[in-house]
Amino acid sequence: MTRDPLDVTQTLLFLSMVAGLIAVFFLVPTEAFQGVAQRIFYVHVPAAWIAYLAFAIVLVGSVAYLRTLDSRWDFVAYASARAGVVFTVINLITGMLWGRPIWGTYWVWDPRLTLTLVLLIIYLGYLAFRANAPDETRGAKVAAVIGIAGFAVVPLVHFSVDWWRGQHPARTVIRPEAGPALPASMLATVGLMTVVFALAYLVFLALGVRLLRAESEIERLESLSVDSFPLAGGGQG
Amino acid sequence: MKRIWTLARNDLLCEARAKQIAPVMVVFALSLVFLLTWALPPGAIRAPVPGPLAGAVGAREIAGILMWTVVFFAAVAGFNRSAAADREDTYEGLLLAPVDPAALFAGKLTGNFAFITAAEIAIFPIFMLFAGASPGLLFPGLLPVAFLGNLGLAAVGTLFTPASQHTPARSMILPLLTFPLSLPIILGSARLTSSLLIDGTYGTEARWFILMSVFDIVFITIGAATFEFVIQE
Repeated sequence: MTRDPLDVTQTLLFLSMVAGLIAVFFLVPTEAFQGVAQRIFYVHVPAAWIAYLAFAIVLVGSVAYLRTLDSRWDFVAYASARAGVVFTVINLITGMLWGRPIWGTYWVWDPRLTLTLVLLIIYLGYLAFRANAPDETRGAKVAAVIGIAGFAVVPLVHFSVDWWRGQHPARTVIRPEAGPALPASMLATVGLMTVVFALAYLVFLALGVRLLRAESEIERLESLSVDSFPLAGGGQG
Repeated sequence: MKRIWTLARNDLLCEARAKQIAPVMVVFALSLVFLLTWALPPGAIRAPVPGPLAGAVGAREIAGILMWTVVFFAAVAGFNRSAAADREDTYEGLLLAPVDPAALFAGKLTGNFAFITAAEIAIFPIFMLFAGASPGLLFPGLLPVAFLGNLGLAAVGTLFTPASQHTPARSMILPLLTFPLSLPIILGSARLTSSLLIDGTYGTEARWFILMSVFDIVFITIGAATFEFVIQE
């Protein structure tokens, strides 16, 4: 008997999440200056990374869809956009909760915060458009264009808000020249939580793609039944 | 090239005869100008800043953003209006014609660029009048800013206006799509305009020209490459 890979991923997600939560709350040492508040870092940063990954997958799926017009690519892009929005919201909310005790305010107009908010609005626009598009194929094509343009504009938004003002701390983990600025235990914890978020993303993506495939299959069957039984479907007209 | 011009000429000629779009844009923009210039302290922009006068500089920085907010909303109102005119099977006809979609995009882009520019010719003097800014501060320095800004806004608008028209909530979807995507353009134009209002020069804000040029190139390229998918039935 073969196992559904999704079941395996979900089991892995559950186990790694338990391990991750134990690491975050019990194993990793408390940071000296910020105290307990710093522990939100282990949710905040992985959520941001996975959100970027999700939006990159939207770009890949959108380009592939426009080249092949194979709706499987569109399902990948759509499901990834939904997941990306979820992770962006997690990132923004944890960031605000972290900012309140440390900066003294929930929100500042900092480049990173602004860019993340703009990202969220772009992909909320993507989802709002898809929810409103009456025709599936047409909606998918336009959504793919939004997926491409949205990701292309991200670096430009980043520069523009960076030139505007700044408060968010610099990178601490991925620093090609200097190496990570964190102790090994914190680095291991953030790595583990990134695995947790990546697995959660995979589960969201797989479930989302299956849901979209099932929806389109239902639509296909419905249109089929009307065509096959003209009297049943067109009796009113 | 000739086809691009034919398309743009067609849009402009329709507008010159029907006068559907520009009056809507201008009236809408002027009512926004009246409203927003109330936010500025009286006399804050009248003369060149004498020294480190924080309040006067602050008002000028705000004025740049206000001015380009008006342009953005006027542009979106114009896109919606021109799309309403185009909704009657225009694209089906254009798609039947042996024209490259990239040329269609360029033609529509030229038309939208002209509409935004025309609206600005009405908006900017009135804005400066109500804000109390002297024309010497903004001209001719504003011309390259407006060129790059209008080009970027027109590119984003041209790409997403036909896309939004087939959704039930089209007049809500269009600003939702265009605002975050055109943010670099709006911020850049606003910063350069504020800098002009402060001392009549671009100063350190001149680097925004690079960002805006890159934005324009990126969006015109994406638009030309993907316009066929946006207008297909």
